[in-house]
Amino acid sequence: MVMMNRGAVYEVLPGPEGILPPAATVMGVCLPEEGEGLLHGRIVSEEEAMRSAAIAMLTRRNPTLFPGPLMLWGWTEHTRDKSAPFFEVAREIPGVRIIPMPDYRPIYPKIDPEAVINPCHPNLTIWHNKIEACVLIGVHCHFANVTLKIIRGGTNCFTIALCAEAGHEDAMSSVPNVGAEKIARFAEILRLVKKEGVKPLYAGQGIIPSGWAQVASLGGSAGGQNGAFVDNGLSHHGLSHDLEHGLDENEE
Amino acid sequence: MSLETIRVAPGFKEYLPREYQDLVDDGPFGRERKVSEVGSFKEAVEEHPMCAGCAMTLFIRTAIVALPSLENTVIIGTAGCGRLVLSQTAVPFIYGNYGDTNAVASGLKRGLAIRFKDKPKDVVVMAGDGGLADIGFSAVMHSWFRKERFTTVMLDNEVYGNTGGQESGMTQRGAILKMAPLGKKFEKMDMMGLAKTAGVAYIARVVPTNATRVANTIRKAVLIAREVGPTYVQAYTSCNIEYAIPTPKVMDDARMIEQQRYGFSEYFTDEAKSYWEHYERERRQVKGPDGESED
Amino acid sequence: MSESAVIEEVKTNPQGDVITSAPPPKADAKKGAASQRVVSPDYLMLQAPREAVFMTGSEAAKEAIRRANVDIAISYPITPQSETMQQVGYLYAEGYLKDYYRGEEEYGVMSAIAGASRAGVRCLTATAGPGLIRGMEVIASWPGGRLPSMLLIMCRVINAPLAIQPDNVELSYMLNTGGILFHAENQQDFYDYILAGFMIGEKPEVTLPVAVAVDGFFVTHARGWVSLPSADIKLPPRDCYHEAVPMMDNENPPIRISRDAPIQKSNFISYHMHASWQQEVWAAQARANKWVKRWMGSPIEVVNPTAKTIIVASGAMVSQSREAVRQASEQGIEVGLVKIKSLRPFPSQELVEAVDGADRIIVPEFNYVGWLAKEVRSAIPRTERVISGPRVFGGMTMPTELIMSYVKGRR
Ligand SMILES: Cc1ncc(C[n+]2csc(CCOP(=O)(O)OP(=O)(O)O)c2C)c(N)n1
Ligand code: SF4
Repeated sequence: MVMMNRGAVYEVLPGPEGILPPAATVMGVCLPEEGEGLLHGRIVSEEEAMRSAAIAMLTRRNPTLFPGPLMLWGWTEHTRDKSAPFFEVAREIPGVRIIPMPDYRPIYPKIDPEAVINPCHPNLTIWHNKIEACVLIGVHCHFANVTLKIIRGGTNCFTIALCAEAGHEDAMSSVPNVGAEKIARFAEILRLVKKEGVKPLYAGQGIIPSGWAQVASLGGSAGGQNGAFVDNGLSHHGLSHDLEHGLDENEE
Repeated sequence: MSLETIRVAPGFKEYLPREYQDLVDDGPFGRERKVSEVGSFKEAVEEHPMCAGCAMTLFIRTAIVALPSLENTVIIGTAGCGRLVLSQTAVPFIYGNYGDTNAVASGLKRGLAIRFKDKPKDVVVMAGDGGLADIGFSAVMHSWFRKERFTTVMLDNEVYGNTGGQESGMTQRGAILKMAPLGKKFEKMDMMGLAKTAGVAYIARVVPTNATRVANTIRKAVLIAREVGPTYVQAYTSCNIEYAIPTPKVMDDARMIEQQRYGFSEYFTDEAKSYWEHYERERRQVKGPDGESED
Repeated sequence: MSESAVIEEVKTNPQGDVITSAPPPKADAKKGAASQRVVSPDYLMLQAPREAVFMTGSEAAKEAIRRANVDIAISYPITPQSETMQQVGYLYAEGYLKDYYRGEEEYGVMSAIAGASRAGVRCLTATAGPGLIRGMEVIASWPGGRLPSMLLIMCRVINAPLAIQPDNVELSYMLNTGGILFHAENQQDFYDYILAGFMIGEKPEVTLPVAVAVDGFFVTHARGWVSLPSADIKLPPRDCYHEAVPMMDNENPPIRISRDAPIQKSNFISYHMHASWQQEVWAAQARANKWVKRWMGSPIEVVNPTAKTIIVASGAMVSQSREAVRQASEQGIEVGLVKIKSLRPFPSQELVEAVDGADRIIVPEFNYVGWLAKEVRSAIPRTERVISGPRVFGGMTMPTELIMSYVKGRR
């Protein structure tokens, strides 16, 4: 049912909006057409959506790129083509992190918020790394929307969705039909706004150690430690990444 | 080619969690793995929350190693303990309503057959005794009568483990469990016999006391389902919690039950038998004696 | 019944099913299917030249399915649905579908549809009354599974005593699943909504199951004029890698897909995830509205918008209401009509605007509970305007006089 908030226009702003923010769609926010984008729930030009996204990524704390399965795995030529412009974007954002969303399962026993983000509790990764601007890219739309609402509810993160399909109302900024070309265009816009005088929050160039690359550099080692497998003699590789004590995700 | 789905896009490898890096470098995809190799490669099964020492865990872990083409397999589970590990395994896992497995598998297998005409897609159901013999009974039987080409694996712990230990149709007569306060009043259901009646191509009963035998049984079941017709593997996977089996004694219990009433047995229809003999012959020719079964 | 829906003399069995003999497929039966070509949805639904044919609702459904590029249909008999799925069986025999079978019962059928949809193929089933309720556990889980598929519902009594008569109380159960639900007035709608439904449900931002309901017998077994484009064109196939979730075919990443996240634990994270998931399902449903407008004109149709008394109806009751509007105008009374085509997403905004000037809103229905009146009440301001009724149930037809007596304020 469409629960319109008649009169007032619903704005999709960085949170924390509190418990269960509504899906922006049911508040009347519509998806953009090709050539357009969404900014705070308003239809704007693609350029304007990208500019605001660029400024957020350059000026807010701990900007992070969250590549999903459709970005991480080169399963089609289309995805493989997106890699180079993705890293071009990363290099234009001083101090950016890359933290993947490799899959959507509730990871057992708990996620390592430095290594991954997960749609079941994306806020944990945002909080832990104090991320105030992020880009979701290559995440299947259902899981992106689930994620974006939880982030808006519990964090002050400025969310950006570069979507290969129709775009995302629940992001603060979103552009539809994003392929390699539009990613490259985003890199260009990052350069442009810097040239126009937007001063990046962080000095220097590019990507800081992040994701598993960071965990590994800190001496993170694989190996399950909770003894879930008593028949552990079978395994030499061990299981998953290093895990600290935390919420048991799978308690029945 | 489905192996493309574990090909990392350029530049992303170092950002992937270690488990995925290991799967890419040294995973079970694109080749057959033997249980004797376990420990020397990254397994598809990941950390999971099943009870320590649970025999079902060991069985599933072995069964996953045995799948002949992991990169072309889809697993269907249902409510019950097994899904706790299946949902953490590096193979697409479907989890729908309790007891729907064999109906879902029918639609899935047919759908995949429409889309991938020349490429076999293996569909494997792994569900509890309650899920298959009680609530899912009609769907199981009808998938067999219709000769749907997928494998059904019953994780038979003879109890509803996940809901805290109630009697199931596969419970032994007399067992005192929740909802059977005076002991179960009727016999364990003969699902093996029913499978035969329904014309299942390959039927096997197995206890995870011998990992190689488990692996061979699963491999046979999946390959015969691919080429001939429905297959059914019924595995005794004791619930050490609900039957109060001390963790170090789980394998002793399995050996005892195997000797008393759950001995290994297998049955082939004529068609399945001749397919399997043909398959073994071919395999020996290609691979030499090494290509033989492990047990 | 309105004039367009004349019930013909047809031979039926004691259940009321039309007696037809199943002709064996002819030798050249597959020629028609093989020569079909794919056209754009816009062309097939909006632009292709059409010709009017007089046919039953079941036949109209068949003609839609012929042009819908369906991969698999799974059937299970129940009156008054059986005729349609038998017809679909003939389409399969003629090569229009790639697979077809009779399932074990409705729970199994709906589950198999869930499997087929996850495999990435376009799939279809149909049921009625008790069959719908039997399959409801699964049907209610389709939207959360993000499973595009087509369910045709030929409404029939569900309450005891068991009966086959049309009564659409079953649709009230369909209002709360999160899926899309259209209610066809007549044979033409039944044809049009099915084609639109397939395309809408498969849009990446929607990715939901679609149900198209008709009132049993009144539409399924009666004939009306249906304007159809040529049979040699069909919709494009399902484009499953452009949807909201990955396919369960082990051909798309991630390799570790647990799409139906097993999050049935008692902790805040699980509640939160499930809540956001449900919100997304209903948001996806709302996103369908854009495509409803494109391919179904509008989610509502309005007749005499300035009238002070407006009837709001859906399904076959719209035909009865049209007749009441006509009779009223003969008597010099202006009565308006709002036809609700899409029950989910419910066109709240459009309805609010359409009835803004009305003082009285009459909601006639074919069920006891009055679910449409409740929907209308919860959508519009000044609910005291809503006169809930008249209602008939148990399979009765709605006498126009009964609607007229409400119009004249005698009830
Ligand atoms: C329709 C429905 N009925 C009942 C349940 C509750 N339920 C969940 S798991 C389960 C028992 C599982 O037992 P079994 O299938 O034997 O598997 P196990 O846990 O022993 O491995 C039951 C009854 C449910 N989830 N859905
Ligand atoms: S409850 Fe029983 S079957 Fe389930 S994981 Fe624990 S020991 Fe295994």
